[in-house]
Amino acid sequence: MTLLDISGLTLDLPNGTRLLDAISITVAEGETVGLVGESGSGKSLTARSVLGLLPDRAETGGSVHLLGRSVLGASRSELLDLRRTTASMIFQDPRAGINPMRTVGDHLTEAMRLCEQRSAADARAAASSLLAAVRMPRPDEHLRQYPHELSGGMLQRVMIAGALSSSPRLLICDEPTTALDVTTQAEIIAVLAEQRASRGMGMLFITHDLNLAASICDRVYVMNAGRVEEQGDARQVFRDPQAAYTKRLVAATPTIVVADAEIDAIEARADVPGRASTAAPASSLPAGAGVVATPASTEPMLVASGVSKTYLRRGKAPVHAVIDASIEIPRGGALGIVGESGSGKSTLARMIVGLEQADAGDIRIAGRERTGAPTTRVARLAHARSVQMVFQDPYLSLDPRITAGRAIEDALRLHARLTTADARARVVELLEQVGLGDRHAQARPRTLSGGQRQRVAIARALAIEPDLLVMDEATSALDVSVQAQVLGVVERIRRDRGLTVLFISHDLAVVRRLCDETVVMRTGEIVERGRTIELLSAPQQPYTRLLIDSVPRPDWGREAVPQN
Amino acid sequence: MTTLRQVAGKLGGLLLTLFLASLLVFFSRFLVPGDPVSFLLRGRKPSPEAIAQVAAQYGLGLPPWQQYLDWVGGILQGDFGRSLQFRQDVSVVIGERLPVTLGLVVMAGTMIAVVGLIAGAVAALNRGRVLDRAVLVGLTVLGAIPSFVGSIVLIAVFAVQLGWFPSFGSGEGFLDTVYHLVLPSIALAVVFVVLIAKVTRSSMIDQLGREHVEVATSRGLTRGTVIRRHVFRNAIGPILTVSGLLVAGLLVASSIVEAAFGLSGIGSLLVQSVDRLDFPVVQAIVLLIVTAFVVVNAIIDILEPWVDPRSAAGAGAR
Repeated sequence: MTLLDISGLTLDLPNGTRLLDAISITVAEGETVGLVGESGSGKSLTARSVLGLLPDRAETGGSVHLLGRSVLGASRSELLDLRRTTASMIFQDPRAGINPMRTVGDHLTEAMRLCEQRSAADARAAASSLLAAVRMPRPDEHLRQYPHELSGGMLQRVMIAGALSSSPRLLICDEPTTALDVTTQAEIIAVLAEQRASRGMGMLFITHDLNLAASICDRVYVMNAGRVEEQGDARQVFRDPQAAYTKRLVAATPTIVVADAEIDAIEARADVPGRASTAAPASSLPAGAGVVATPASTEPMLVASGVSKTYLRRGKAPVHAVIDASIEIPRGGALGIVGESGSGKSTLARMIVGLEQADAGDIRIAGRERTGAPTTRVARLAHARSVQMVFQDPYLSLDPRITAGRAIEDALRLHARLTTADARARVVELLEQVGLGDRHAQARPRTLSGGQRQRVAIARALAIEPDLLVMDEATSALDVSVQAQVLGVVERIRRDRGLTVLFISHDLAVVRRLCDETVVMRTGEIVERGRTIELLSAPQQPYTRLLIDSVPRPDWGREAVPQN
Repeated sequence: MTTLRQVAGKLGGLLLTLFLASLLVFFSRFLVPGDPVSFLLRGRKPSPEAIAQVAAQYGLGLPPWQQYLDWVGGILQGDFGRSLQFRQDVSVVIGERLPVTLGLVVMAGTMIAVVGLIAGAVAALNRGRVLDRAVLVGLTVLGAIPSFVGSIVLIAVFAVQLGWFPSFGSGEGFLDTVYHLVLPSIALAVVFVVLIAKVTRSSMIDQLGREHVEVATSRGLTRGTVIRRHVFRNAIGPILTVSGLLVAGLLVASSIVEAAFGLSGIGSLLVQSVDRLDFPVVQAIVLLIVTAFVVVNAIIDILEPWVDPRSAAGAGAR
């Protein structure tokens, strides 16, 4: 039976912008349907239309039916009834989605007490068993806790329990694991699959992650710019995409699957003596790049040895953010640091950049001591010249009031005396280096897209030609196609200029694409290190294996014969 | 346990603030031109003996630090010294006038809370619509009227023209007092209503855009429940903070309103006493206002963990 039937749904804003254009989607009972697309594709809006959560002044057309009842144009009480009995939704960020001022118990029992008129004790008992169902360790204790006392993964379980409290027939999941670590994501997905199966619910699963969609969905719809580009069996769509957009999306998605050919290539290269330390994936560096690793500069660009950082908290146990970490990057090399949130990877990066001071250990960049806090203006400028950082969120790291060109020019002028004409020329040169142009120099960040902003941030970091570029989750906030662009820019600059890069990420696939070598961090310690491809294909540590296994992968093998 | 320690810490901070305020209040008198002795002996040609006698009687001949210690020691025993103009104990002078000001402030405070919160909430829930604009324009116009002008307008319309309310004095007995204080409280409340309404509006608009509000809506809660339990509840923090800061302003502004309506309260007494160099009274009133301000804000601080449970966990928690 059809649970959800969206047909010809359109949505217009009063100013004439069409956000959704003739969307048709069906979900049958017990079926998992994926809605895949990049930001701005309209997938969240489509999902919200099922619960009548649309912008106030939007004009809708077409129809949305839940179990045969129309949602668009439903009266207020019908809408409340649909939300209370038929469908519920899990949102992306549990930290934002659960009221921080109320207890977990209140969040879970609220609808039961106020909508179903169940007694407080009854509702608490139901909430407690729901928490047990989503595998929370101490249900009764959690009911009394506030959201800030729980981790993101735990909170997302609370969110799921809350959505299940009304025993819905359809569960809508809007990027439920995007804000979570990869191992946590795997756990949450397992909980969702288990609940879906035991309750026989239908599930509409929204995600930007093709691999995730492919691994859990029966059918998928690919959305772009308010339209459904392609739909069909999940395997079919991703193995053999028909629409041009889907093809591009599939091509842009990085993967951690290591092909045998690559391993062969690496092994062949490892046989060549003297080049092992700077060997890079065959795909990213042409032969000429080997020049940067000539014996003339044998000293590594970055040497951090025995670096530790402990945060002391009043009245609480101290946090050992980084414990005795040692890393080395040769000139022109790229090192990836992977780890989950709380692993200390960002703290290590911040110490290398000089935003935090290490408690112990030694940091050398291009042979110069960089451990202590720079005290004078000259020391600070010298430190900045040796290492620059690109931050995670370009929406926050660029000043919204100054133009992109000005942001780069300011960085230039801070470090060198330049005439206005020279500075302008250099700005344009830098922008061209990251694939932007003169016209972007006049633009304020607001008018640039996410990918363009991050490229401006990279150009600004490169403006003073630092010895080392640190990228802290620099592509995590970007869509896959934009991420691919930005990674392409970084690869090209590395190739052309022999830039040394320290790349911090939680995403193994991205690290794999960019970095020759990788270290894995866990709770402040480096647990494994090695060449990226070897690390991915033959992890030595159980934790590394867990990280790799947690990355969603379609459950059909690469060699599988196409079905149907 | 931790809560108890936090409360103890807040109390310590409160006492320190009061001590520093008392130093400032007392010693600022020595910066002001004018000699209290000549005021006491005004209109006469005092002999040096008379001056000495008056100075000794009011303790004015002692070194300043000795005077301060005597003053603080007296206050701790409930003795604020003697008023120079009334030749009475300051505590008696203030005690007679305090109820009027308290009544005025309590009534104005109630109006501020009720009208401010409602106006702010109505504007927030109708954001961008005609009602929101009307409330905003109305508030801006009201906020621009100084309270003495407002007082005169209120008297002219409601006391003189319509004759609904008395225009002068504070009345006898509870109900009569309330009746007499209606117009003065309105005059006092107007400016502060504007502030509270604007803070309520922006704080609620901030919450309305939050995802947890959408989550609550998606669970099938009625609009009213969502507004009450999630939007307004979460918006309380900033409103409470601003309310705490208003207390001092309310007490000071009451002097203008009291003068306009012929009420003999603390405010009009303060103005009168400054005019006549009656230092003991001025010091006592200023200290009273400072104390009221500090105590109210300490209470708001102590309520903070209830208003926002995250604050109890320290600044690190988000």
